Amino acid sequence: MPERTDDSKMTATPLTRVLGILGIAASVVMAVLGLFISPPDVVQGEAVRMLYLHVPSIWIAYGSFVLTSISSLLFLARSKRREDSGRHYDRLAGSAAEVGVVFTGLTLITGMLWGKVTWGTYWQWDARLTTTVLLFVTYLGYLALRRLPADPVVRGRRAAVMALISFINVPIVHYSVDWWRTLHQKASLSVGRRPEITGEMYWTLLYSALTVTIVGAWLIIHRYRVIRLEEIRDEENLKMLISSRHQEKPTDSTAAGEVS
Amino acid sequence: MSEVATVAIGWGLTFVVIVTYSLWVVSRGRTIGRKIGIGEVHQSGQLQESDLPTDT
Amino acid sequence: MLAEVLLLARKDLRIERRAKVAVGQVAPLTLLIVVVFAFALDANAPLLEIGAGGLYWVAVLYGGTLLTQRAFEIETEGGNFDDFKMSPIKAQSLFLGKSLSLFIQICALELVLTPAILLLYDVQVAEWLLLIAAGVAGAVAFSVCGVLWGVMAAGLRVRSTLLPLLLIPVLAPVLLAGSRAFETALGIRADAGWSWTSLMFVIAAVHTVVGLAAFGFLLEES
Repeated sequence: MPERTDDSKMTATPLTRVLGILGIAASVVMAVLGLFISPPDVVQGEAVRMLYLHVPSIWIAYGSFVLTSISSLLFLARSKRREDSGRHYDRLAGSAAEVGVVFTGLTLITGMLWGKVTWGTYWQWDARLTTTVLLFVTYLGYLALRRLPADPVVRGRRAAVMALISFINVPIVHYSVDWWRTLHQKASLSVGRRPEITGEMYWTLLYSALTVTIVGAWLIIHRYRVIRLEEIRDEENLKMLISSRHQEKPTDSTAAGEVS
Repeated sequence: MSEVATVAIGWGLTFVVIVTYSLWVVSRGRTIGRKIGIGEVHQSGQLQESDLPTDT
Repeated sequence: MLAEVLLLARKDLRIERRAKVAVGQVAPLTLLIVVVFAFALDANAPLLEIGAGGLYWVAVLYGGTLLTQRAFEIETEGGNFDDFKMSPIKAQSLFLGKSLSLFIQICALELVLTPAILLLYDVQVAEWLLLIAAGVAGAVAFSVCGVLWGVMAAGLRVRSTLLPLLLIPVLAPVLLAGSRAFETALGIRADAGWSWTSLMFVIAAVHTVVGLAAFGFLLEES
């Protein structure tokens, strides 16, 4: 998963440039390690290489959603005391959630491909898969809620509450789906267990997790900055709109009242 | 579908998704940044240390 | 607080009695869904019998989502939330009152739907008590979740598309539990119907606690 660092002056800082280059380099090494150097699995053969993407992706996705929940909590705690002081937590929640959704999507894609080879089918109604797809849809809804135009603090608080409730729901969903699948119809086709990962495969997986973390962090930081830029843009648009209204009727003392 | 082909598709798709998303994020940042004229507007200074002309 | 809750619930039900949206529109619509399922499954009697429990809850999910939407439309149309903020009524009372009225309406919906599946899908009730308990549990869980997410989408221009998107993933466990419980109650599967029913009550309890804590936040913003 090579990364493209960006030499523009917009959302890059020296730190993120280093992070980005590191991400590209690590991705190249990861591809070499995962695709060529690490051995094929005894049971799964070449298909095991999919797990070097699949497993780290879901880790990053869960990590991002945890980050979203923590920042939402902090945002709610701060925004009640002072109007503007917690906005960066809101931005962090939004950017982490978006990156989390991207990686959840990747988890589903790689998982289905892995399942096709290993189980012989793209999809199994197993607890983990079902929970993941519900998680994916839930956070798509969260992003949809965030996109709606509203006062930033209002929108932020609404989104924060939703993020927290969604997070509380993850164990409920997982538990019920798990129970559902274990209660009846033992899967007709044998569910392939994930392999015992040891030795070179273990280190490759660990290394992949590190790489994906770097890439994920880079994406979250940049997305955070883009959200900030969007906010600045919206504020400036508003300011321009107000000042142009003022200029329309410079002598009218009620102009300000009309605008607000 | 052979195992190798499946692995290739999986890695390829992941690659494409991540790169597309990164490019989208960066280009969106650029577009908006240009629109609001970052570099001239001191307001964004705390965000963009690298915007100082000497930094390039 | 109890008086406030009852007052608010009674207000909603009075509006419903006059407008007859639930009775006149949503209930017939869900009946239509029960019929349409038979079209989709080619009126395959054994298949309909096996699926009766699940199809019932899908119909409830659909009707309940519409009722949730309606429950908040009557408030936002007149800008009532602003009045609530000014009034001494607590946000928690509003949450419980809304949930209560939604609960009663969903129960009414279920009273229409249950005979429909019994007659049209040709299923027999094996355990009446479980059927009633599961129906009530599902209605409680649905109404509490519905109100919690309904207020979030209330007042937004895109609420009719947003609310189902937000609500259905949350209600997925309820749908799952309700369907399994009904399968036991209808004698299709000898299964842990009562455990599924209690799971629905647990889900309802969790969301009630969350709702009581969060409703103030959400109300401020809507």
